[in-house]
Amino acid sequence: MTIGIGGAGSKIAAKLDSQAILVNVSETELNKVPGGARRILASVHATRGQFRGSRKNPQIGLDAYQSVRRELLELARGNMVFCSSGGGTGNGITTGLLQDLSQATDIDTANKTFFGIILPYAKLESNEFVNNTIEFLTGPLAEAIDSGNTGNIVLFSNKKKFEEKLSEDSYNQQLVESLKLFLSIPDKNDVYRLLDGHIDHEDFALFISKPYFNHFTFLEYDPAIPFGKQLEANSNPLLLEPEAAIEALFLLEVPRGGDPSMFYDILEYFSEKNVSPIYSVVENPDRQKPFVTVALLYSRKPAELVDDFNRITEQHVQAKVKKSLDQNVVLHKLDVNMEQEARRAVKQRGDTEDVLATLRRLGKL
Amino acid sequence: MPQSSQDNSKLFDEQVSRLHELHYLVLFWAAQGEGRGCKYNITNCFDDMKSAGVTRTKQTAVAAIEGLATLCFIDVREERNRKNIYITRYGAKALEALVMNNQFQPKPSAFLEEQ
Repeated sequence: MTIGIGGAGSKIAAKLDSQAILVNVSETELNKVPGGARRILASVHATRGQFRGSRKNPQIGLDAYQSVRRELLELARGNMVFCSSGGGTGNGITTGLLQDLSQATDIDTANKTFFGIILPYAKLESNEFVNNTIEFLTGPLAEAIDSGNTGNIVLFSNKKKFEEKLSEDSYNQQLVESLKLFLSIPDKNDVYRLLDGHIDHEDFALFISKPYFNHFTFLEYDPAIPFGKQLEANSNPLLLEPEAAIEALFLLEVPRGGDPSMFYDILEYFSEKNVSPIYSVVENPDRQKPFVTVALLYSRKPAELVDDFNRITEQHVQAKVKKSLDQNVVLHKLDVNMEQEARRAVKQRGDTEDVLATLRRLGKL
Repeated sequence: MPQSSQDNSKLFDEQVSRLHELHYLVLFWAAQGEGRGCKYNITNCFDDMKSAGVTRTKQTAVAAIEGLATLCFIDVREERNRKNIYITRYGAKALEALVMNNQFQPKPSAFLEEQ
């Protein structure tokens, strides 16, 4: 079962799963999303009815979470949750959910929640989205990862959408198709003739219940080219770039009569990285060329994730601040204290002498 | 034909005389960073240049770094997805010459001050 929280999360959940449960704080928004089997309106105290959204304010989402807390915690167990980190509803309600999951002590492997989080593209999306995301990554998400109570966390990036100027619908479609391909791995093991290895539903469920970031991708495998190079060239453009893998899973589909032993090259690649993947090789008569679906589990400190975000944000904000300063220049009278200036000059001279001493110490001079 | 040490020294002086404040700051911060044992990368360098008010564009920052790397004054090594800057012995000599000439004034690196 899939749960979509907020506008963006609901659209993806409904596209992925006809039985999806959609959650929003605005009745209007909730009714706009086509599909889904059930809609839950999280209530906020409002004198004018609940037709307004959370207006990019995660606190409104977090307040509304209290009204659906018990139900959502129950529904999220062992299921998938999609949300965006930029707006108010997805961010706020998921914040509440992650905080509760972090403190829970009774979540076993089968009941862990798989999270799909859509991050805004900092360069072109509004500051509120980016700031909300930074708070989300450093706060509740960091806490939840540390607790080990979540399953895989997939970080989607809106970068491709903005760079390729895709419509929201076609971007969501690509995202859902990509996800379906990844989630179909155990089904393919059931349907197609198994040539080597095995990933059954239990193996797959165990894999996606591990509390790491997941980067999954697909490629047509050419045995003549080293697997590492192909993997690097084919990282999933819808997701954030992965760090070094801790665990991995791959499914190799070979065409009818194809050579199944080529999976050893992939195993060798992972063995060089000290990773022992779970894998499976199947014969898929519909394929013309070998096709690999890979998922890498990696760990990344939220602070590092935020580093990349901050860098773009700060440049963005600085540019805006600079622009407004340029337009409104007030000249202040400067009171220069000569004694302080002299001290500063001495300190500065000290800096240059220090650096030469440092270079000597390092044996470079 | 092997070059004489006089030729080498002329070339070195010529190279140093063509360096701008931007180059001086990159060498200075890279040396300071190395002295403190922290990795100083291209992005940190660009952020520092911006906060020091010497440039506003990444292209200029990258051009300065690439120029120094071409002159063998610095090594730029790709480590864990970051391009870290290391001053070479040759670069250390160039920085020494710039400091002795008192041509430029150092500016604080926001990144290194935070460390």
